[in-house]
Amino acid sequence: MFRLLRAVSDRTTWRRWAYLVMGAALLMPFWFLLMVLAGMSPLKGPWIPVVVLLLPIPAAVAVGLIPGIRQVEGTAVKELLGGRLAEMNVPVARSLRARLGTGLWFSLHLHVGVVIGAASLVVPPFAAVLMAFPLIGWGFLGDRRSPLYAWKHSAYQWLGPPAGLACVIALLGLIVVAGRVLTMLAPRFLGPTPEERVVELEEKAAKLAERNRLARELHDSVGHALSVVTLQAGAASRVLDQDPGFAREALTAIEESARAALADLDHVLGLLRDDKARTTPQPTLADLGRLVEQTKLAGIELDHGVDDAVAGVPAAVSREAYRIVQEGLTNALRHAGKVPVTLRITVAGNRLHVVVANPLIGTPSRTRDGGGRGLGGIRERVTVLRGDMTAGPAGGEWRMEVSLPLMSGA
Amino acid sequence: MTIKVLLVDDERLIRAGLAAIINAEPDLSVVGEAADGSEVQDAVARTAPDVVLMDVRMPRLDGIQATRRLLAGGGVPPKIIVVTTFENDEYVYDALKAGADGFLLKRTRPEEILQGIRTVVLGESLLFPTAIRTLAAEHAPGAGPDGGADWHDRLTEREADVLRLVARGRSNAEIATELYVSPQTVKTHVGNVLAKLQARDRTQAVILAYETGFISPGA
Repeated sequence: MFRLLRAVSDRTTWRRWAYLVMGAALLMPFWFLLMVLAGMSPLKGPWIPVVVLLLPIPAAVAVGLIPGIRQVEGTAVKELLGGRLAEMNVPVARSLRARLGTGLWFSLHLHVGVVIGAASLVVPPFAAVLMAFPLIGWGFLGDRRSPLYAWKHSAYQWLGPPAGLACVIALLGLIVVAGRVLTMLAPRFLGPTPEERVVELEEKAAKLAERNRLARELHDSVGHALSVVTLQAGAASRVLDQDPGFAREALTAIEESARAALADLDHVLGLLRDDKARTTPQPTLADLGRLVEQTKLAGIELDHGVDDAVAGVPAAVSREAYRIVQEGLTNALRHAGKVPVTLRITVAGNRLHVVVANPLIGTPSRTRDGGGRGLGGIRERVTVLRGDMTAGPAGGEWRMEVSLPLMSGA
Repeated sequence: MTIKVLLVDDERLIRAGLAAIINAEPDLSVVGEAADGSEVQDAVARTAPDVVLMDVRMPRLDGIQATRRLLAGGGVPPKIIVVTTFENDEYVYDALKAGADGFLLKRTRPEEILQGIRTVVLGESLLFPTAIRTLAAEHAPGAGPDGGADWHDRLTEREADVLRLVARGRSNAEIATELYVSPQTVKTHVGNVLAKLQARDRTQAVILAYETGFISPGA
């Protein structure tokens, strides 16, 4: 009951309802057309209404075979139903398999939709009548021929309101369940076929390979330019007094090499960048103070200890470490609530160590099901930097330890 | 006696920078420059350098090939130091295996570049022992378990000890102190080790030792 109430108050449920009602509306032309045809035809018989009801089922499948329908349905499902399909790519259907899947889905959508749509129209007024049953004395209830007459005039008329309530609950339950079932089924009918998945992966792999190549070339060219700059600057400062002419040339060479490298960086990063350029630099461990303040403002009692040696950590490691600390603190707040958190950042043996710990409270299941995302992000960063991490309950507290090497070679 | 240096790099600015640093030293002198690996043999024949500073990536003939050709050329080849931009460049280890005596990074401080040249020419100790070990650990980590087994037959126990200390970058004098023998004895041991392994110098002997698993680079 409580779960139903929560589902009913959820916007998702009503977006899904809208999707279903849309299906009902889409079915109407089929019905109208068949009714008109049935009216015009000389054929008569009790089976005509059955045909009018059943024929649209294959007819909708047939319409769904039109390649473009998949894209339209896909967009509608993503927007209104959500679910796993929202993260999938749903292109125009090309293969027979994709078209058939769409056809079946289209028909399913329309027919489940018409049931829900009709129920949504009929059940509320009917339930209202039932609920007001003991109180009203409408004309038709006074008529002895009415099927409700006997009930109205029996001792059981108090059953009206609970029956009305039951109808409403049944309708709401039906809406919730239908929405969920369709959301669950959508990927099977509209999701990418194995062939489409292969094509998609191939495209992605090709794009990644291309980006990888660009990045490697950039790495080479900038590395080369920086070598020239370093060597020329080193030489110039050593021979400044003996050979000022060389020093002057060296300065020009340094300027030109650096400028060319910047232009190269600018160009290639422009090609590599998907999102908009940042207007603020990425924070590093040097900006930790602000993060600590924000965390304290969020109501967390933070006991933090940061080595001074952290200032000497390479920028790439420092940036990632900042994000790791940030995600670690966010996780603590999300899963444990406002508990005291311990943060330790130390440098030892050419490695940076980060520890985020908080006392274990609350139900462990909550920690488990929600914990994946934040930890996954941290794990990704740690893997890229070839570090190690452990996370989990230890000695009455939840403890995350991350260790990052400070040198890529060693 | 001045140490004669040949510079090989396709980038003029790198050559000019190295030349300025080297020529400012009284005991070092740049005797020639080459812009590609293919020019190295002629330049060596012309200038008879003691040491070649060799870039790895060059357009026509790379530093690894040039090193091989130079060492196959007969006579007493000069010492070869590979000069590279990136430390974890796969070519560095290839060059060392090809017979280079050491490697330097282009970002190395001038004084360390000079020190590196002198170390290699003197041949008394290994240049950057830890870096070589790291490279060996990356490139020859799975050296066979039987690897280097026959070395125990070929090398005396003392010679094996000396080789292990050489791999750690110890100079002859340091090894002498550590093993309580005279530097002259160490020199003889090192000479014997090189002869038995048919290694050109300490670097080659150490690389061989790592490659065969006689010394584990991970240790």
